[in-house]
Amino acid sequence: MEPIIHVENVHKHFGKVHALCGVNLDVYKGEVVVVVGPSGSGKSTLLRCINRLEEYDAGKIVVDSIPLDSAENINAVRCEVGMVFQSFNLFAHLMVMENICLAQRVVRKRSKEECRKIALDLLTKVGIPEKAKNYPAQLSGGQQQRVAIARALAMNPRIMLFDEPTSALDPEMIKEVLDVMLALANEGMTMVVVSHEMGFARAAANRVIFMDEGQIIEEGTPDKLFASPNNERTKLFLSKVLH
Amino acid sequence: MELRPKSTPTEKEPVNIPSAGPSARIDAWWWLVVLVVGLAVLLIVAKSDPFWNILLFVRDGLVVTVLVTVTAFIFTLIVGMFGGLGRLSQNRIVYGISSLYVELVRGIPLLVQLIWWYFAFPVVIQQIGRWLNISTLANYQVNAIFIAVVGLVVCYGAYMSEIYRAGIQSVPKGQVEAARSLGMSYVQTMRYVVLPQAFRVILPPVGNEFIALLKDSSLVSVVAVADMTRRGREFMATHFNPIEVWTMVALLYLVMTLFSARMVAWAEKKSRFER
Repeated sequence: MEPIIHVENVHKHFGKVHALCGVNLDVYKGEVVVVVGPSGSGKSTLLRCINRLEEYDAGKIVVDSIPLDSAENINAVRCEVGMVFQSFNLFAHLMVMENICLAQRVVRKRSKEECRKIALDLLTKVGIPEKAKNYPAQLSGGQQQRVAIARALAMNPRIMLFDEPTSALDPEMIKEVLDVMLALANEGMTMVVVSHEMGFARAAANRVIFMDEGQIIEEGTPDKLFASPNNERTKLFLSKVLH
Repeated sequence: MELRPKSTPTEKEPVNIPSAGPSARIDAWWWLVVLVVGLAVLLIVAKSDPFWNILLFVRDGLVVTVLVTVTAFIFTLIVGMFGGLGRLSQNRIVYGISSLYVELVRGIPLLVQLIWWYFAFPVVIQQIGRWLNISTLANYQVNAIFIAVVGLVVCYGAYMSEIYRAGIQSVPKGQVEAARSLGMSYVQTMRYVVLPQAFRVILPPVGNEFIALLKDSSLVSVVAVADMTRRGREFMATHFNPIEVWTMVALLYLVMTLFSARMVAWAEKKSRFER
């Protein structure tokens, strides 16, 4: 079977920092991959390379059989790949409903009624249909992140990328976001999640990847990786984050 | 008695940070309006000759002033948008051209620019027309109002570019990333996400530019545009009453700037949003 995300020997430099040093990764349809690792290990950079928010210096990335090489292809890939950010990044000047409708209308060229219907369905799915007419600043962090997930889903992506979706949230709001993500995983969505939520990894991940210093050090099922990691660095990291 | 510096707040006396709130501004504005409009009306009623005559005489100049200002302002907004985007462009040529434009224009007095456009520009066009043997260009004559608007737009567009640049830079990078990650193009991202937010940020300085432009439009009187200032000079030339003419003209400018300031404040309030 052909992988839906194919990352081959990708390198990325930020000035003198070698952020990604030859990363290889294949993600298959329906898989949930959780990427863990210390800060600065390149997890977010890897994720951002997959939808080309970050340019990479060398290597090859193919998403859903589309190679990331031309501007046209990049936009095509971005339509197929939803992204959820640590800081939500809802459009601050638009109401929740407009946030979810904007890209549907201008990118997918859907009619106004269709956009609104899809948006309302998704808001119901993430549990806050009553917030449609609120502005982002009027919502809690957890609600904002759920709107951000709905906004990404409205484009009917085949893949969802999550860049530390719960790191900016107060503890009591983490669960409401993780529940939405868990439901999504159970529906068979292909997901790549950068997160330190080990509980989510245990419950939803098919595979956990440990990254350090721009490389994938070790990967495996959550049970195996958390219980008996092979690599010393993995052990050290997990001893710090698993309680 | 305990020893404590006088300024230390206690629980009983919460610190009151004095602030010029919106109400303070409104009051000041109303006072000024009452004062200025009252004075103008008083002068016209009490001494209709010459004040009422001045008003009648400069009336068409007032229309020209408003027309020139509003037209120039609209084009300034457009030029400023492209200038601002150019100043943030990754493309070196686009960046170079827009930077050159801004730096060049900012360094030359507006009055000199207006005079150049009115007196030198047509000659340049005529020369080119003669070289290329195109008679329409060789016989080119400027329209005073048109060239005055061009001069104002070129100058104020440069200042506006810098305002746009600051406004666009004030929109968090995450907004662009979110829009791009949804498949929106650069132009769509700018149009639907960045510029609407930037515009709210730059509204106060843009409003200031409008008021400054309104006042600077009086400079076009030196390049044969019959605006309010020029009409005032014409009236003075025949009636020899500088105090009355220029007091009246000053009051009329004041009324216009006061109401413009009010409109800007209203627009600001309308478009406010929380981040």
